Formats: sequence, C-alpha cells, structure tokens
Amino acid sequence: MIISTNWLNDYVDHDLTVDDLSDLLTMAGLEVEGVEQIGSTLEGVIVGHILRVDPHPDADRLQVCTVDLGQNTPAVIVCGAPNVAAGQFVAVATIGTVLSVPSRENAEEKVDLKIKKSKIRGQVSEGMICSEIELGMSVDGSGILVLGDEAILGSPFVDWLVAQGRSATDNAIDISITPNRPDAVCHVGVARDVSAVTGRPLTLPEISVPAAGGSAAEQISITIDAPELCSEYVAILVSDIKIAPSPPWMQQRLITAGLRPRNNVVDITNYVMYELGQPLHAFDFDTLAGASIHVHATDSESIFTTLDGKERKLPAGTLMIADGDRDIAIAGIMGGENSEVSDNTTKVLLESAYFDPSHIRRTAKSLQLQTDASYRFERGVDPAGQARAAARAAELLVTIAGGTLVDGLVSTRTKPVQCQTVVVRKSRAELIIGVEIPAAKINELLTAIGFEIAMSDDSETFTCTVPSFRPDIEREIDVIEEIARLYGFDKIPVPVRFSVPDHPVSMPPQRLLREKTRDLLSSLGYREIYTNSMLRTDLAKSFLVPELPGGKFGGSVVETLNPISQEMASLRPSLLPGALAIAGYNANHGRKSLRYFEFGNIQIHAQSDASIVSGYTEQELLLILCSGDDAAQDWFNTVRPLDYFDVKGIAGAVLATTKLQNISFNLATTGSKTASISGTDLCQSYASIVAGDTYVGTVGELNSEVGKKYNISSPIYFVEINWSIVAELAGPGLRGRYEAFSRYPVIERDLAVSLNRNVPVGDVMDLIKNTGKPLLSGVSVFDIYEGDQIAADQKSVAFSLTFSANRTLVDKEVETRFGKIVKVLESELGARLRQ
Amino acid sequence: MSISTSIEETLTSLEKEISVADLGSDEAIEEFRIRFLGKKQGSITGLMKRIPDVDPADRRAFGQRVNELKAVAQARIQKAQVAQGPGVAGTSDVDYSLPGRVPARGSLHPLTETYRLITRVFESYGFSIEEGPEIEDDWHNFTALNFPPNHPARDMQDTFFIEQPTQKHDGILLRTHTSPVQIRVMLDSEPPFRVIVPGRVYRNEAISYKSYCLFHQVEGLYVDEGVSMGDLKHILHVFARELFGEDVVMRFRPSFFPFTEPSAEVDIWWKDDNMPGGGRWLEILGCGMVDPNVLESVGVDPEKYTGYAFGMGIERIAMLRYGIDDIRILYENDERFLSQFD
Repeated sequence: MIISTNWLNDYVDHDLTVDDLSDLLTMAGLEVEGVEQIGSTLEGVIVGHILRVDPHPDADRLQVCTVDLGQNTPAVIVCGAPNVAAGQFVAVATIGTVLSVPSRENAEEKVDLKIKKSKIRGQVSEGMICSEIELGMSVDGSGILVLGDEAILGSPFVDWLVAQGRSATDNAIDISITPNRPDAVCHVGVARDVSAVTGRPLTLPEISVPAAGGSAAEQISITIDAPELCSEYVAILVSDIKIAPSPPWMQQRLITAGLRPRNNVVDITNYVMYELGQPLHAFDFDTLAGASIHVHATDSESIFTTLDGKERKLPAGTLMIADGDRDIAIAGIMGGENSEVSDNTTKVLLESAYFDPSHIRRTAKSLQLQTDASYRFERGVDPAGQARAAARAAELLVTIAGGTLVDGLVSTRTKPVQCQTVVVRKSRAELIIGVEIPAAKINELLTAIGFEIAMSDDSETFTCTVPSFRPDIEREIDVIEEIARLYGFDKIPVPVRFSVPDHPVSMPPQRLLREKTRDLLSSLGYREIYTNSMLRTDLAKSFLVPELPGGKFGGSVVETLNPISQEMASLRPSLLPGALAIAGYNANHGRKSLRYFEFGNIQIHAQSDASIVSGYTEQELLLILCSGDDAAQDWFNTVRPLDYFDVKGIAGAVLATTKLQNISFNLATTGSKTASISGTDLCQSYASIVAGDTYVGTVGELNSEVGKKYNISSPIYFVEINWSIVAELAGPGLRGRYEAFSRYPVIERDLAVSLNRNVPVGDVMDLIKNTGKPLLSGVSVFDIYEGDQIAADQKSVAFSLTFSANRTLVDKEVETRFGKIVKVLESELGARLRQ
Repeated sequence: MSISTSIEETLTSLEKEISVADLGSDEAIEEFRIRFLGKKQGSITGLMKRIPDVDPADRRAFGQRVNELKAVAQARIQKAQVAQGPGVAGTSDVDYSLPGRVPARGSLHPLTETYRLITRVFESYGFSIEEGPEIEDDWHNFTALNFPPNHPARDMQDTFFIEQPTQKHDGILLRTHTSPVQIRVMLDSEPPFRVIVPGRVYRNEAISYKSYCLFHQVEGLYVDEGVSMGDLKHILHVFARELFGEDVVMRFRPSFFPFTEPSAEVDIWWKDDNMPGGGRWLEILGCGMVDPNVLESVGVDPEKYTGYAFGMGIERIAMLRYGIDDIRILYENDERFLSQFD
C-alpha cells in the first residue's frame, strides 16, 4: 500500500526525514519497498499578474498575454487556455523552470518539461502560465489556475501553496503489508505505529457520528439475510450533491497514493478508505428500488455486471447487496453498473459494512477480482469502525460536494463487537524476547497502539483489552510480538554464551556417502548438474520403465493439478531426461566430452515400503551419464570414444566407496526392453546392478534414437543408482573393521588360455576365482586377442593371478593350484593353455 | 621402377624388426636406438651410407624407403620415451615447455558448494541434518504450521497441487518449504530438537530472472527450555559472519510467517559504491520464535519449551556470494558456467 507523507503528517507530527521515516516503518514491521518523490519543487514558478490579453495575430486559439512578474519589464507569454483574462493572478513558470507533467502518450507517466524562451507561431513567448495538472496539483488541465487576490506578485508560487495549507511535493512510500496487520492498510494505522515508536501524539480526525434512526431510517430499510457473513451494515444518505472534480488537495493525495481521481463522491469514498481503512461504497440513491437494502447470499450461479462494465459469473453462495428488486453490488468487492454514481447523481447512499474475511477472500479468488475493498475486507477491517467511516465520508460530501446530510443513519448489527482480553505475563514476554523490559515500558508501548492495560500489583501480569482494529491479536504470544517489534528487535542483546548439545552431530549414511560420491565423481572428470524436477507428462512416462530404478516401483507418473505449463506438468520418474537435455544443450555448444552426474529425488505414484506420504514413492537417485570423447585431444594421448566400460567402471568405483559386498552386473536378456521414445526401446543394452540379491541400479547404453531426440550423435552411456536403497544397505557396514593382512610375499603367475570366443570373460574369471580358493587372492585380465594368430572361432585371454597366504608360499603349492585352475578351465570351458 | 629384390627383402625385414622390438624400458629404448640408428653399427645408418652405391635408377626410391624407416624408428623411440615418463628426461632432449598431463576436470555445482557451506556452519554448532519428502500432505505443509484454511497467509506461497482434498483424505501437494520436515522430526522424537533441514521446494510462480518454479531451502529449528530471540540472533550472527565476513552488518526487522511469532526477516548491508547511500539492505533469510500453535500441533508443551526457526534459500545465498544475477543460469548447467566451479 502506498502512503503519502503529507497525508500521514496530518495524524502524527514527527520531524523525521523521509529516509528516517522509511527506516522507522521498516523496523516496526511495515517494510518499505520503495520511496518515490512526487511533484517537483516548482522552483522558478512565481506569481504573475496578467496586465493585458491580446489575440495572437496568426492563431485563433492562442492569446498573447502581457504579464507583470514583479520585475522591471513585464513578460510576454503566449497562452492557449480558454479562461485566461486580464487582471488575473496566475502561476507562471519562468524560463529555465523544469516541470513534471503527464506525457502525451501516457497520462499515467510523468516527463520533464523545461520552459524555454521560444517562438509560438511567430510570436515570442517568455514562459508558461500553468494549469493545475502542470503544477502536479490535480488532473485538471482544462484551464489555467487562477489565484485569489491574496497572492503576492512576484513571490514564489510554493509560498502561495503553503499559505493554502498545501505542499508542492510529496513522497509516496510503498509499504508491503503482512497478513497480520489489517490495521496498517490506511494512513491512520501507519500513523499509529509512527506515534508509538516516536512517542509523538496521534491526532485522529474529529468525526461526529449521527445518532441511529432519524429521517434516514424513514427513507431506507436494511435487512441482513446472511448474518454470519455480514455483522454490520451502516447506511447514511446525503442529498443535494453536485458531482464535480474533487478539490486539488484531495486529488493530489489520491494521486500520490496511486489512485486516479474520478469525481468528488468516488474520491471521497476512496479518501476515507485510505484514511481509516474502511472500504465504502456510494450508490446513486435514485436508482434504488423499494427503499430497501438486502444483504443476502445467492442460491444459484448468477450473472452480474459490475461498474467497470464487465459481466461476471458469480458462484452460488456469493454475498450480494440488493435493493427491493435486484442485486446492486457484490458485497465487499465491487459495486454494480446499475446503481453506480453518475454525473447526474444528486443523492447517494453510503454503504459502510463489515463482511466476513474468508468469504470475501473466496469470492475474490473465484472471480479473480482483487480490489482495494476486497484486499481490506479479507484481512479484516475494524468491526467497530463502520459508522465512524460513514460519518466521515458524509461530512466530506457536505463540505466538499455541497451535499446535505439526511439526518440520522441506519445501522443493522447482527453481532456485537467483542474486544478481546488477553493476559500477558511479563516473565513470559522476557523469556521469549530474551531481554528484561520494564513494566512501564511495556505499558507505554501497548497503550500507544490502542491497548487498554490493567497491570497487576506485582507488575507481572498485564490484562490487555485489544482494540477492535486488531483482530489478529488473540493470544499472549500475539501481544508479545507487538511488544518486541515496538521495543525494537535490534535492541535485543545477543547472549554471551552458546549452548551446544551433549552429543556430537552424526552424519547419516545417505548423506555421508552422497557427499563422498560427489567429491569422487567431480575428481574423476564428471560435472555435477541440477535439473528441473518437472517435465512434460509424455516424456515422464517414457522414462517410467522397468529397466530403470524408478520403474521398479510400478505405478504411474505424478502429475500436478495446476502446472505452470504443459512443459512442466509432471514430476520426473528418472533423472535421465534432465541430464539428456543438459548433455544435448552442451553438445550444441560444441562440447565433445559430455560427463555429468546428478543427485536428486524422483517421485512415482505408487504405494511401496518406502512411501512416506501414502500412495507416493519418493527415492533419491544418482545418475551418471557420459557420451562423446574420453578426453580432449592433447599431445600425449589419442582420443577414444567413451564406452560402456567407462560408465561400468565409474559405477564400480562409486559402489566401492559404499563398501557393499557381492556387487554384480547382470546383463539383461533381450526382450525385457520396453518400447518408449519414438516407439523404439529406451536402451540399446543394459545390465542390472545387484548387491547380494538386491537390485540397486541400472547401467546401460541408450538407444541411438533417444540420443537423436536430444541432438547427441555419439552413443550415450548411463548408470542410474537408487541411492536411498544403496544407503540403507551400506549403512551397517560403513564402519568396517580392520582385517589382518598377510605380510608374506605374494607370488604372481600369468595365465593365457584360448577358448571359444563366445565364452564371456566374466564367467572365466568367476571360475578362476572359485577354483583358486583359498590361495588365489587376485585375478585381472591383461590381454584379449582375436585374429590371424588364432583360430577364427577362438580368442586368447591372458590373466594375471596373485597368490598369497598368511605364511611363506612354496612354489610347489602354487603350481598345484595353478594346474588345477588350468584343468578346470579345460574341462568346463574347453579352454587350452597357451604357452 | 623397382628396387632389387634382395634390398627389398632387407628393408622389409628391417621394417618388421623395428615395429616389433620391445621398448618397455629405458635400457631397451637405448638398445633399440644403437641397433638401428647408432652412428657406427646402426642398421639404418648403414643403409644410409649405402645410398651412393645403389643403382642410380633405384637410388631415389631406395633413399625414400630408408628415410621412411628412419622416421618410423625415431617415432617409436619418442613414443616409448614419453611412455617411460620423466625417467627419460635426463637422458634425452625433452621439451619441458609442453603442457602437463591434466586429468579431465569435473566440478561440483555451485548450489552444492553453497549447501555445504551453510550446513557446515550449523553442524559445527550442534545442528543435525534431517531430510524429508518433496511430496507432502496439506496437514504437514500448512495446517500443522499454523496456516489456517482460507487465510491470506496461504497466498504467500503459491502451491503446486497434486490431489485436491476429499472428505476422507488431506490434499496432496509439492512442499512449498522444508518446514514440514520440522513437523515430522518433532512428531518422531522428544525435545530438545536442534536440526537443519535442507531440500528442494516448489513454488508455482512465473519463471524469471529472480524466481524459478523450484529452489532449495535450508531451514533450522531449535526447541529447548528457555530458548529466546536473543539465541536466535546469536546463531544467525554466527552464520552471517561465516558467510559474509567478520564485519558483516545485519538487521532484524519484524515480519510475518504463520509458523513463527514474533517473526523477523534478516537483511545484510551490501556495500555498493555505485548506489546512493553506498549500498543497500539485502534480505537473506526469514526467522522467528516457533508459534505455540505449531508446538501444540506436534504435542510439545509450549509452556515448557520455546524455540526458534529460520529458513533461507540456497539459491539466493549462492547468487549473493557468486554475484549471479539470474537464477535460471543455475539450472541451465552450461559448461561455461559449471567449469568456473572446478
């Protein structure tokens, strides 16, 4: 909400600069988001006296004025205003003056206008005679401003303004109002905080509220059919009104506050709303039928035309204001076109009511119609303030719009105003805030914002009567907050000591391993990425497949009910699509070696053992993806394409840090793939990674069609690991015990065999390991050969075997073991030893 | 025109010898060099010397072949020397100006770096880390945290909904903050609670340079007997000093969050000589004293226990620290950006 500092000063006489005032408000909980200076200082604008007016020789609509500026020679000024006449005192912008005026293209926008000596249709002009709009006083640009005889010739125009109780400049302070401050959505409310913090008195406008009844009650009756939605409805009648622009001082304040002046009646209702916080509505009394007002909730859906000319579809149950025949306003939100104040209006009914906050909020939301009124009603206006606000507006209609008050007022209250009583313990306040605050100070601070306080004899308990305009305050803690914010958060001292818990912080395995793995992968040349969790639904479905960790849970993709766009309608069931998009993006930007990893959660619409929120499964995954060259081309190496064994090796390295035992990579048999993107299989080939007998992830190569979708031409390899499962499995074994190792020398033997090329090397290694027990402690492959030197259906594989024991090994026993391995390989796999 | 058959045979066998010779050690390389390129006995050197004796018709072709062999042998030596590493350095003319062998460089995402920085501070002060689900029910995300139904406070956090509430079931949504994990922690154990909760949260806001549809939050909670706003200021001072330097200037200004009362927002003074006033206040986090309604909703006696909570966006802190002015760049993952965090 925007506050005018000039306006604010009516209620509290502070001597703060605008910057200090802004700081004060911010530190009192009314956060200032911006300050704008409104208007210019009008330096160079002085009072002139028009001596004579002659027609312009070359332009019908222009006049040439001779103006006395209190200097030796009068100035000649060309003027086009219809109301200019000799003998007038006027405001003259002299040469060099800079005025802030509405731009020609957009009246809401101000531009600088510098007054220069110029020729207008051949006639020299030495300044400008100003209208109100050019002086920033109002939106009236129909003619020049004519000053009264009290104006002093040649004196600064600002002095005249000040003598009128006005100011050339103002400041618009934009305040962000939190939902707990319904009282601060008006100038008086903000002034109350300024008064409380500065200690300066708060001066409220004097308002005399007419007694209920009188002629008003004879002319109109009010019934409330929905008392739970409307606890008070006040109507005041004012007749003999002349619709006209409101006076410049009022227009100026409304403009500063960001409102557009319309006419005196509408401006007055807005003015009172911004002054006291109570929204008002003025009905043209003569359009009302049946001399009655009914507040009711609609039975069924209906159509209603609001005063902005728009047809609105209202849901059943909407609270409406009706006259004897028809609806005339959407309660608390906007009036109807049918009863709107027009240029011909002479008599108005002023409505001042209290509507249920949550009802107004619901209606405004469903109509998508936020107004100044709904904004205030939904936060909760002062439930006791209706009659006062109506009376204030009526007084202004009388003084400004020439109106006559129809004596009395009509008030229909369905619920008495009950002021909350809250008991506050001083000790509790001090415990929460963390500082001793003298009882007298607490008393002073709360009294300043309208509380009535009864203090116990020991000054420990304060029985507080909460003012009606603070509906947000219901509990002791609410009052403690008021004490704290007015006392000043910055004055709360920081304790000297810091308490720490009696047990050190432990790191759960999931996080410990995650952080280790992040370091591992980044040092192995992989870049960590963070990708969006939300993606297109069809894309998400393509990656919810049984070969990936997410798909193991079955179920379906999680969709949001209100997506930002269809591009982000579902939650990811795999981290693959995010990483693919990033790989494609960077490939497009010339990257040849693509290596990424991401830790992130996936969500599946499926009930499982892992479900925390019923019906949904959420797991943390680790995705590693690579494609393209293994390294940049350099003088010491030749570049090779990344392949399956790169990603398999990385998966092995990651799992090694978890100390999980019995990891195996089980190649999937054909046929278990699922059709997805472009009707092709997602994976070219893949293997399940299994720890013991628990599935922990998938390693594989994506189908090249998938890569094409993302503009990646090289084969793409990935491993996706269910980190939640890995952490759970790995947790118990993480604090592994030391195992005694043999300090005796090891014996190494090379073993080269030729065997059928279809026999997987992995099987050979398993057989060697099993047969070599217990002396064999290690086996690795160091060469694989297929070619001219060997039969076409054969391959030669060379292994390096390491034997060790907790004693000195004798050559003979190693030979025996070695011989046994050879024998088994020969008999079971048809291998032949190569020399 | 062909070279005579016998010479051709010599060349071919020499070529084979060169290509298969073992160059696995410094000694072998030196032996190889002497055998083929040695000034006195080298077989290629010998062939070079024989060029003038060759039939002039063959001389040109022969010379070419010998030179090719020489180049192949030299290349093998060079490659083998490189493979042998620096051990060769002293014995041959290595070009030390060549760049070193730099392993491929990976990187941690700046959000991870920032996450670690933040969590480290609080862990060293005895806060343990808790995590929780991103899909939540309305009760944990809103109601238990003192967001009344149909209250304007719910507008403060634009929410992605997954299931509308029914008579039997609570609404399901994407959590808008990590505060629901506070609720889970307090329901699962007994006070005192001293935890921080990092995690991904979602807001249904238009994507722009300053907001994304999701971000990462770190929330803190400390509930114990006798915890006051002074304690809250204390821990946050520690935190701000750690992240923004010893001389950081900060202020606590009153604000509103449904789950804390009193509530505050914390600004730090950001020096900027280009701005009028020499800088500006930048908001870094929100905090406050845990609202008694929240403690009651999880069965903790608010008369016995008091506590504070605070929450901050990792993105915001990262953007301040690294001078990033567009949040979207964090999710773009452009290598030209990522590689700056090697």
